[in-house]
Amino acid sequence: MAAINLTKMDKKEVIQKVIENGGTGITKCIQCNACASVCPVAKAGFPLYGRLLFRKLQTGHFEEIIEDSSSWACQACNRCTEICPRDAKPFEMVFAFRRMQANELAISTSAFTPLMNLHATGHAVYSEASKDLRVSVGLSPEPVTSISSEEAQQEMRTLLDNSPMGELGIF
Amino acid sequence: MDKCGMYLGCNIPFKAPDIEQSFYKVFPALGIEVVDMEGATCCPAWGTAPSFDVDTWLAVSGRNITIAEQKNVDIMTGCNSCFGVLSEARHMINHDPERKKTVDRNLGLINRKFQGTSEIYHVSHVLYKNIGVDKIKENITHPLTDLKIAVQPGCHILWPSEVMAVKEKNSFFPTILKELCQALGADVPHYSKLNACCGMGAMRSTDQVRSLGLVKDKLISMQEEIAPDMIVTTCSSCYLQFDGAQKILREKGEIDFQIPVFYYTQLLALCMGFDPKQVAAISETPRDAIIQKIQGATRLVN
Amino acid sequence: MAKVGVYVCHCGSNIGGVVDVEDVCKHAETLSDVVVSRQNLFMCSDPGQEIIRQDINNGLVDKVVVAACTPRTHEPIFRKVLEGEGLNKYLFEMANIRDQDSWVHANDKAGATAKAKQIVASAVAKARNLQPLEDKYVDVTKAALVIGGGVAGIFAALDLANMGNKVYLVEKEPSIGGVMAQLDKTFPTNDCSACILTPVMVDAGTHPNIELLTYSEIDSVEGYIGNFDVKIRRKQAYVDWEKCTGCGACADACPAKTPDAFNAGLNNRGAAYIHFPQAVPKKAVIDMTHCINCGGRKIGSEPKISKKTGNPILAPCEKACPAGAINRSVAVDEGGRIMDVKVGAIVVATGYKVMEKENFKNLAPDSPNVLTALQLERLISATGPTGGQFLRPGDGKKPHTISFLSCVGSRDERHHTHCSRVCCMYMIKQAKLLKEKYPDLEIYMHFMDVRTPGKDFDEYYTGAIDMGINIIRGRVGGIDTLPEGNLRVMGYDSDLAANIEIDADLVVLATAIELQDDIKPFAQKLSLTLDGSGFFKELHPKLKPVDTPVEGIFLAGCCQGPKDIPDTVAQAKGAAASAAVPLSQGRVRINPTISEVNQEKCSGCGICEPLCPYAAISMIENVAGHPRARIEMTQCKGCGVCTTACPSTAIQLYGYTEDQIMAQICALTA
Ligand SMILES: Cc1cc2nc3c(=O)[nH]c(=O)nc-3n(C[C@H](O)[C@H](O)[C@H](O)COP(=O)(O)OP(=O)(O)OC[C@H]3O[C@@H](n4cnc5c(N)ncnc54)[C@H](O)[C@@H]3O)c2cc1C
Ligand code: SF4
Ligand code: SF4
Ligand code: SF4
Ligand code: SF4
Repeated sequence: MAAINLTKMDKKEVIQKVIENGGTGITKCIQCNACASVCPVAKAGFPLYGRLLFRKLQTGHFEEIIEDSSSWACQACNRCTEICPRDAKPFEMVFAFRRMQANELAISTSAFTPLMNLHATGHAVYSEASKDLRVSVGLSPEPVTSISSEEAQQEMRTLLDNSPMGELGIF
Repeated sequence: MDKCGMYLGCNIPFKAPDIEQSFYKVFPALGIEVVDMEGATCCPAWGTAPSFDVDTWLAVSGRNITIAEQKNVDIMTGCNSCFGVLSEARHMINHDPERKKTVDRNLGLINRKFQGTSEIYHVSHVLYKNIGVDKIKENITHPLTDLKIAVQPGCHILWPSEVMAVKEKNSFFPTILKELCQALGADVPHYSKLNACCGMGAMRSTDQVRSLGLVKDKLISMQEEIAPDMIVTTCSSCYLQFDGAQKILREKGEIDFQIPVFYYTQLLALCMGFDPKQVAAISETPRDAIIQKIQGATRLVN
Repeated sequence: MAKVGVYVCHCGSNIGGVVDVEDVCKHAETLSDVVVSRQNLFMCSDPGQEIIRQDINNGLVDKVVVAACTPRTHEPIFRKVLEGEGLNKYLFEMANIRDQDSWVHANDKAGATAKAKQIVASAVAKARNLQPLEDKYVDVTKAALVIGGGVAGIFAALDLANMGNKVYLVEKEPSIGGVMAQLDKTFPTNDCSACILTPVMVDAGTHPNIELLTYSEIDSVEGYIGNFDVKIRRKQAYVDWEKCTGCGACADACPAKTPDAFNAGLNNRGAAYIHFPQAVPKKAVIDMTHCINCGGRKIGSEPKISKKTGNPILAPCEKACPAGAINRSVAVDEGGRIMDVKVGAIVVATGYKVMEKENFKNLAPDSPNVLTALQLERLISATGPTGGQFLRPGDGKKPHTISFLSCVGSRDERHHTHCSRVCCMYMIKQAKLLKEKYPDLEIYMHFMDVRTPGKDFDEYYTGAIDMGINIIRGRVGGIDTLPEGNLRVMGYDSDLAANIEIDADLVVLATAIELQDDIKPFAQKLSLTLDGSGFFKELHPKLKPVDTPVEGIFLAGCCQGPKDIPDTVAQAKGAAASAAVPLSQGRVRINPTISEVNQEKCSGCGICEPLCPYAAISMIENVAGHPRARIEMTQCKGCGVCTTACPSTAIQLYGYTEDQIMAQICALTA
């Protein structure tokens, strides 16, 4: 890889974006690597896990990494947040980056199904087949959740349609 | 607490309804009334609203919490992810006045108001804190004597401990689920990867191969170090991963063993004598043999 | 009529960069009684001082106002200028237009300039009313108290004693020595800690000017520089130290068990014990909270008589003592006894403690094979629980692979944000000592970054690399416990840019240096303050590193902040030299800006007496037999609480009299 000319990177803008998206600890991270040492994303071998992602963001990388899907492997386990010595809340930084990606629609198509489900039924995971399964164990075909309440589904749609997610036009 | 709002989430009612059924069996029998949360939606799952916009996340979680508030009950969730999403949302709403204002504005659109009166618990918390291991011991008819369990508490019930209503003494070496399993009479030895992530959730949908790598590491740690008769978890996601992944790993020739998997209340229901066809009927990894062993006549006490 | 001179300082660009000094100067000229107003880039410089000198000398001014920085550091300088020109030095007033103006309003130049004018006007108003005051002096008690008998306290005591001062060295443990006595070898030269410390301990123990008061604590400190009244509690040892020869027979006989703090809890000691083999003084004590009273009778009661032999049934400790130093029939005061001493200066050298591993939940604290570095020192020390054999506590096996974890509890917002400063070096020391002795050992050291900024320190560090010790940059996030007591360290190698795992037999945690849990009440007894990291706060981080806000009390060693032995000794010697100043001057100056009661006006109501935070006020009877308040000048700190409370306005605080303060208020509200 060619040398990165840090003076030419738009550090301020990227950092500001991360903060706006909830990654308020981005300027606190001292690259100690404690988070990476226990992170499932790093351990499973994804290339752009916590600490490295934070350094990329600190140094103004965004367009360069926007397509990387590692952040979507974050389990939100928060083990990193529990131990970060700077209390930088690494999980929230990973998710801030996810939000930056998502708002540019730089996400895999498979991520859309749960969103559509959520909008339609109030549940991210739903399948018709569940009805038979439920009956087989002695339950009603549908639980008492939004799946059986048109009113609840409408409430969910109101919340989503009036949110920034609604403005993205994904629903 | 003698009643609690049952927050189902998505995986339990639609993929593992036998877990849902086990809740309805064990809680009333142990003195906790299960209150339906009509109209509850997805928590929302990490990969949905939380990945787009914090305020939308908080609005959807906030809405779910208001359902319990209206019924004057606390919430118990059976899924770790839901527990994590709701606990963090509640913590943020309670600690960030700006966010709270936005939540109020958003919930106003659907004529709801977040009060902050309902606490978020996990099924395992209610079992451990409100019912207690002693009461569980008293109520089982089929103890698990001579059976060995590998426990899988899962991540979202452990961290960030700051936001949780019930905390482990040491979240890196959790003991609540272990004690709950010991109450059933089982042996619950430690294995080194106890607190490691199972790889389910977002990782599973992002990259199945890498996700399976994590669960394989855990399975091998369990098998080599303690060779358990079963794996027991209190997270529905972990349940689906351990149950489903073993089949794939075996087909790929990556493991040569299989360990039956239970959600804790399924096992508890079996130990209390409930019908396996209702409380432990759906699984990829076979559990008939172990269920027979558990409910076999020789085990019946009193 | 007063002739006030106003001198406005630019303080380089500190003030000049924000405040329009020229404008302030011009404004000052318009104020009543101001005869001259001048400016300079640095008023405190020689040329700056010279301007004031000349104006006084020429008879131009007789009251001086300097508008500049803080009186805390600079008032003494300008007062000296007045004194030098034969003017009473209290005819000086300082206007702080830097800390209270230019620094805080850096973004509002016009506002800052306007505020500077007001501050100057207020100072001038006060200066017009200033009255000359005279310094007072009191004699000094030529003795010092040193609290804490670690290496810092020992060196401070020895230096003070060698200068001819009487020194009371108070140590709460039965022996002096502190943490250094627990260490095996010391960086950067690897000399044996006991070999270099024991001779100095003996020096302190035998010095004719040093009174060693071990197993003792400070009960209270009253008074002021030159004359502190100290109550020292000599804790009850339940052993007659006059008779005890330190043979240790009682310790051997005692069946009670409690973790041995000297060995960092790695083994147990009895209730009767000797602190450590090289203890000074080498005397036994009985730790009554852990005595199981195996003899079956309370202290102070007669022993039962054996039916068989007719002899009294003694407790094992009593029976064992060949010197007859233990006699449980004697009723003694369990609180010990109070000793009163009078000293002129105090050195606080109470050291530190290391954090316990239980604080670090992700690092498998329950495993016996996870040790703090201090425990490792004891484990490899010849006087330690294994006699220096390197065997791990869990199962007595010899370790083959060790991981060292740095910054545990240091540089961590959940615990301490400070760097503990010595751990990088002592970990390298421990690793090198082990590697020298057991070349087959595999050693991994996980650092956030390696900090070795001392003389010969970095060479010491690179030497470790040359020996084949693995240095890894990356903080460890967790430890898994493996079967058979082994540990899997989950680390990260920043240079490999990869997660790593180390299967270790033993893990050593460099836990943070912090002050003792009960330090706050102790600090209160001395009216000392703690800094953000919880250490004792020095008066000025650069220029007054051993002084405290309480005149006559000085700091030495780790109680002021983490440091190694070389720095500790250097600071101890510095503190001793500073403490010796008042002792050798023979008298100390009492600030005249203190309060006095006008006996004519005092009605004897007594309202002021309980209000004084320094207990300086007492009620006396005047000649007519009426009660009157009186202020002890040596005790008054000039806080002014009494002045504002007195309903008869009988109390005057010199330097802040009513007319002076009213003039200031008028100037500010004009
Ligand atoms: C594991 C480890 C290894 C180290 N290795 C080295 C090394 O190789 N080289 C090196 O230069 N430095 C080393 N150090 C640092 C060294 O220990 C300190 O620099 C040194 O001990 C500081 O001495 P001190 O007198 O300030 O404090 P301490 O040694 O703590 O002594 C303070 C004394 O005051 C007493 N005391 C406390 N409170 C009171 C009270 N209220 N009343 C009366 N007495 C009281 C204590 O009992 C103690 O005796 C190491 C530190 C650690 C933790
Ligand atoms: S643990 Fe915290 S400080 Fe360390 S690299 Fe991760 S986010 Fe940065
Ligand atoms: S929350 Fe995400 S980034 Fe943090 S440790 Fe878990 S998987 Fe890694
Ligand atoms: S009586 Fe003496 S020997 Fe017995 S426990 Fe107490 S100190 Fe030890
Ligand atoms: S001295 Fe080294 S190990 Fe200790 S806190 Fe500082 S950097 Fe960390």
